[in-house]
Amino acid sequence: MFTGTIIYALINSVILTLIAIGFNLTFGISGVANFAYGAFYILSAYSTWIMMHSFHLPYFVSVMISIILTMALGALMYQLVLKRVRGQAISEVIATFGIGLAILELFRYLGFVGFEYNLPPFIDSSYMILGTYVDMQRILIVVLGVIIVVLLWLFTHNTSLGLAFRGIAQDERTALTFGIDSDKIATLAVALGAGFAAIAASIIIPLGSIFPSEGYDVLIKALAVCIIGGLGSTGGVIVASFLIGFAERFTDSYIGSHWTMIVSLAAILIVLVVKPSGLFGKQKELEERI
Amino acid sequence: MRTRKFFTVCMIQVIVLCFLFVPGIWAADPIVIGVPTSTGFLEGKECLKSVEMAVEEINKKGGVKVGNDNRIFKVESIDIRDAAPGVPVPEALLGLEKIILEKKPTALIVGPFRSEALMAGMDIIAKYKVPLIGTIAMSPASEGKIKKDPEKYKYIFRSCLNAKYLVKYLAGTMGFIKKQYGFNKVYIMNQDVAWARKTAEITNKVYFAKAGWEVVGQESFPTGTSDFSSALMKAKAKGAQVILPIFDMPQSGTLVKQWNSMKIPSLLAGFISPLAGPGAWNTFDKKIAGAINVNFEMGSAISSAKMPKAAAFVESYEKRWGSKLEAGHGPAPSYESVYLLAEAIERADSVDADAIVAELEKTNREGVMGRVKFDAGHQAVYDMDPSKAAVAAVFQWGEDGNRTIVFPPSVAEGEIKLPKGLKAVQN
Repeated sequence: MFTGTIIYALINSVILTLIAIGFNLTFGISGVANFAYGAFYILSAYSTWIMMHSFHLPYFVSVMISIILTMALGALMYQLVLKRVRGQAISEVIATFGIGLAILELFRYLGFVGFEYNLPPFIDSSYMILGTYVDMQRILIVVLGVIIVVLLWLFTHNTSLGLAFRGIAQDERTALTFGIDSDKIATLAVALGAGFAAIAASIIIPLGSIFPSEGYDVLIKALAVCIIGGLGSTGGVIVASFLIGFAERFTDSYIGSHWTMIVSLAAILIVLVVKPSGLFGKQKELEERI
Repeated sequence: MRTRKFFTVCMIQVIVLCFLFVPGIWAADPIVIGVPTSTGFLEGKECLKSVEMAVEEINKKGGVKVGNDNRIFKVESIDIRDAAPGVPVPEALLGLEKIILEKKPTALIVGPFRSEALMAGMDIIAKYKVPLIGTIAMSPASEGKIKKDPEKYKYIFRSCLNAKYLVKYLAGTMGFIKKQYGFNKVYIMNQDVAWARKTAEITNKVYFAKAGWEVVGQESFPTGTSDFSSALMKAKAKGAQVILPIFDMPQSGTLVKQWNSMKIPSLLAGFISPLAGPGAWNTFDKKIAGAINVNFEMGSAISSAKMPKAAAFVESYEKRWGSKLEAGHGPAPSYESVYLLAEAIERADSVDADAIVAELEKTNREGVMGRVKFDAGHQAVYDMDPSKAAVAAVFQWGEDGNRTIVFPPSVAEGEIKLPKGLKAVQN
């Protein structure tokens, strides 16, 4: 039971990391809190489903197209809407939340409600790990989660585009003097964040089903992780994901499932009271942001 | 010139005659049926479609006779979103009040999804005196309120199963499992909403405690929970032979998937909404053989050859909407409620709310779910014999992807079979 709880807590933590990393990346670089993030997650899942069932495309081709489409939509959102309100935090939040709401409610209005809307697991089997059965999809989530975080680190530290991302994140005005186009980088940051939402959806949705209200849950989870970890800090996201992930599963196992949500909310409250900028959200240590 | 005049006069006469005799031109106002519910959820969506289907059928036959007029029905719906996690009850009630004030319905059908919203909404319904035949919310607490103040709350009826009757079906099923296979250890997992909590509580108190079962654990899960691994590990560790799930949220499909992937050696027997319809076989990758589900009303996503009206409803729904019924709770009573209302209006010969209520109380109709009669708490009576009361249907998923009704005995098509990997404690 204890080992099983640790295994599922680890999986839960990686799921939270995958859910939050795109939101965090967009905020860390462009400063935009993308409240349409949960809607992008659901949009990507539905578009994969539509491509598989209406256009009969292979699963992985559908996933790839969905990721690209979601990224394109993210870029479009920045160019058409966010560019005009960038820097006005309230306007950004209202605009992105409105877009997210419109996307989710459109799916609900169009009747995308039912249990048939789900995605198949990549590999359909279970393995026993230390006396606990774990399905292959969850094992893949852990493996892919680690790969994605490592690739993101390598990208931001070893490519010119990644360094430009970090430059903008650290000091936009100084970055501009070096010829880095902040609007171009912000567009890419929003697109990349949306892409991460799409990647997370394609590997997490097979565990359950697709339904519009899941978009709100994803947004809340991403916000919770980012607030605890410190908005903009990738390291903070990972630590916060593990804190919440382990707290949730251990609460489930040893206290009771109805307390699980309270634990997450209590964690946010405590962190906000003790350290308002989050565990790693030090305003002075800007290099920690990405 | 004369010929032209003659033809002009003839034309005018034809037009006048058309206006006088073509049905519908001078027809009375339609009778508005309001459907305020969570239409964004499967149950709400299919309930609305079932109401629309019944209305189309009645209108096709000329509508409802009130006085000298044949009046057609008109459906007005609103998504009150009360089933969605985090939507506060007052917000749902705004929708309920909005449809009453703006659309002026003669009656409401389906109604709030969550019992919490129904309980709070009862005062609004009583204030505006609009009869409601509820088909989703299940907590018996509303009946208590009606019995306590019948004059005020007499407008509220329920044609779907309530939690008390659900317990009767669950107890019957568990009794069969115990007798047949000797199982006596159960783990209860329920959603943290009024009807599910009440069902778990009553089943525990009224049945398990008295029938020699050991409840090895019970847990409530907030709506929206999407990981059940800890509870499943606990059920396994405590040696539960049966897991009794009580959920109506879409995320409960994850419970089925985890029960399968974690190879939990327990029989899954209870209610999980994603397991109710024929599409579940493909949704869960053909891995649900052995799972037992209670569909709350006969006709809601399942039918029996022994009940032709239920079979006809399920078939007509698929024909009308081009997709099979998937919701195991709501559609059949929603469809049936339109007919209950139509008959009550015709008997009352009026659309006055009090007259309709008086006639609804006298309901005695054999329909899709069996015989519908309302008790003192305005709850449709459910029992085991469809000729005497309405019935639910407990079925088991087979290895071939077919569903076999196993309870109640009057409509059963087979017996409960243990899935692969499970062994009886006794024979």
